[in-house]
Amino acid sequence: MRISPKVLLGSAVCLLVTACTGQSASDDGGGGGENTLVYLIEQLEDAESLSRLEDHLADFTESSGIEVEVQQLDVDTMRTVLQTRLRSEEGPDVISFGSGPAFAGALAEAGLLYDLTDAYEENGWEVYDFAKERVTYGGRVYGIPGEMETVGLFYNADVFADLGIDPPRTLDDLRAVCRTLTEAGVVPMAFGDQDAWPGSHLLSMALSSAVGADGMEALFAGERSWDSPEVVDALTFWQEANANGWLGESPVSVDYDTMTAQYLSGEAAMIPTGSWFINDLAVGADFESGYVPFPAPGGEGVFAAGLGSGPMIAANTDDPEGAVALLDFFASEEHGQWSVENLQTIPPRPIDTEGLDVDPLLAQVLEDVSALSEGGGQLGYNIDVLMPEAFNEAMFDGVQAVLTGQSTPAEVAAAMQAASQQ
Amino acid sequence: MTAAPAPTATATLPSPGRSRRRGRRPGRAGVSAVTRRQQARLGVLLVAPAVVLMLVFLVFPVLNSVYYVFVDFDGLDTTPPWVGLGNLTELAQDRQMWAAAWHNLIWIVLGTVGPLVIGLGLALLLWGVRRGSTFYRVVFFLPYVLPQVAVGVVWGWIYAPTRGWLNRGLEAVGLDGLTRGWLGDPGTALYAVLGTAIWTATGFVFVIILSALRNVDNEQVEAAMLDGAGYLQRLRHVVLPQILPVFLMVTALTLIGGFAVFDIVFVMTGGGPANATEVLGTYAYSNAFELSRISYGTTLALVVTALAVPVAVWLDRLQRRVSIEERGA
Repeated sequence: MRISPKVLLGSAVCLLVTACTGQSASDDGGGGGENTLVYLIEQLEDAESLSRLEDHLADFTESSGIEVEVQQLDVDTMRTVLQTRLRSEEGPDVISFGSGPAFAGALAEAGLLYDLTDAYEENGWEVYDFAKERVTYGGRVYGIPGEMETVGLFYNADVFADLGIDPPRTLDDLRAVCRTLTEAGVVPMAFGDQDAWPGSHLLSMALSSAVGADGMEALFAGERSWDSPEVVDALTFWQEANANGWLGESPVSVDYDTMTAQYLSGEAAMIPTGSWFINDLAVGADFESGYVPFPAPGGEGVFAAGLGSGPMIAANTDDPEGAVALLDFFASEEHGQWSVENLQTIPPRPIDTEGLDVDPLLAQVLEDVSALSEGGGQLGYNIDVLMPEAFNEAMFDGVQAVLTGQSTPAEVAAAMQAASQQ
Repeated sequence: MTAAPAPTATATLPSPGRSRRRGRRPGRAGVSAVTRRQQARLGVLLVAPAVVLMLVFLVFPVLNSVYYVFVDFDGLDTTPPWVGLGNLTELAQDRQMWAAAWHNLIWIVLGTVGPLVIGLGLALLLWGVRRGSTFYRVVFFLPYVLPQVAVGVVWGWIYAPTRGWLNRGLEAVGLDGLTRGWLGDPGTALYAVLGTAIWTATGFVFVIILSALRNVDNEQVEAAMLDGAGYLQRLRHVVLPQILPVFLMVTALTLIGGFAVFDIVFVMTGGGPANATEVLGTYAYSNAFELSRISYGTTLALVVTALAVPVAVWLDRLQRRVSIEERGA
């Protein structure tokens, strides 16, 4: 059969068009249909969590008539592609993303987020003031704060009871507890810094307890230097802990999952981490745990607190009213109660927990946070959610360097101070 | 006296230039000029999709990358400020970049020599083996086709300080003093990751060289043996020259991998602890996507390319020359 050049030309054009045409929006999940909002979130831990979220969003659909299509991206990919997606026509309507200057702050500055200042007033959204500040940039509010996180010291209450030791209240107490545990053949603290970010929690909790909320605010505001003696001392404590073997063997070789496994298996008696770990405890621990603030040098310390990811609206959404309605749903007390029961997270607003099926440890944290947020005490700060990435990188590398002996605490503190001024 | 050149057949043939000028006349084969033009157009059309794809996915991104070198793009600003040679100047003064480049150099040397030596050794060992040859090839090649992420995760477990097989093995044979957190110790982390990469690449080198060995002229080897050449002499003077083009090809591929290394380091250590395993690839990624310094990350990536391309071209030319010489011989 002879194929004419015209037929070949037509075929070539068709092939070219096919090659240059991407998948349809419905295929790749991009963009929602009419009356459908695309809600882009960070990858959930398991399919069951996604199923629970979709069931919960079905309640919103039933009341509002607006469908919600959930899309997920792993955290690293989200950070890489989010800006591009927010600029595209097929981008999400609502995103769940980190608060703080390096995350939502950068998006707000680039004009990629919808201004929610008026929506707050019109809908009467009630959130803790300090949490609202974290999604406020240039005097405008750009999101509903996500779940709250506190960082402190979990301890195995059964091991502590067996050895007749009390939870540490001061740094000297903590040293004594670590020595007792070591003598008993128990690893004092499970810790793994291979992922680098857990190192920032060590500094956040030790420094928050040492200088308090005011001292931390002075550091963030540049009124106090990051190479001040308190910062050096906080790093020096962890250097000492590592040198004494209180953090287990070669903590920089251990990843976060192995670190939590060491605690859950009973191999280690304490673990310095955040309130998100309560969920793991509920599922994986067959012993009682307690949760205390990291001790201060001269007395009781404070919890370091931060905010996780929260919902925000894309500036170029086709349906701002529908998106605001979805955020109204997320800001409600009912949603807060649902997240406590289903995700074991702490909402950034006061909620009534009576009648809820809540893990006792989480109930304690909820009470503490509520009291602290309403003026009953102080909360420290989780540093990495508030500082820019250049600083965080200096801090992540710095804590690793202290633990591996590559740098001294003073050198790391100086590097952080230099990074804070970039 | 000079003899007048004898008329030859070639002297009477039209030159290619003449032929083109006569293109409007019917050719000797009876193909009309119109048909030839149609054929030319068809050729262009058939090539066009590939050209368009190359332009869109290769040429444009490269040109775009070059543009990013001269601006300060943070991924957000649609009109990034022009900084001229600022990124290149910073790069030249960046101590962390030089440390990463040094790690790349170590990687290139050990990551090339290791697989080549081990792969060649294994191939020579199994050259004469007929029974189970397929099994050996599959077993040794398997690490190369496994996803690097999976390889990195599994080797991370092997290197784990308390439960890792490596430390357990060392303890089992009484070498407790050598146990350590291999990936968390700045003195061993780079070599631990490199060890994993060598394990992965060796299978590839082995399979390719074994295939080349199967094409070695056995008569020459036997003749050398009859002439009294020992094993190493036969290897050096008879076998290696015959597989040299393939050996150079494998060297080129492994070497270029050393410039472009990223995934295995990213998965196993992320460049840590405290930059002890940082290579140019992870440093470029970190700048571009973690610090939102797209321009500086792009500059680093282009420098890696600029370093790798001449080496690749040189090795390719060397391989061609060796191949031609071998055919000529």
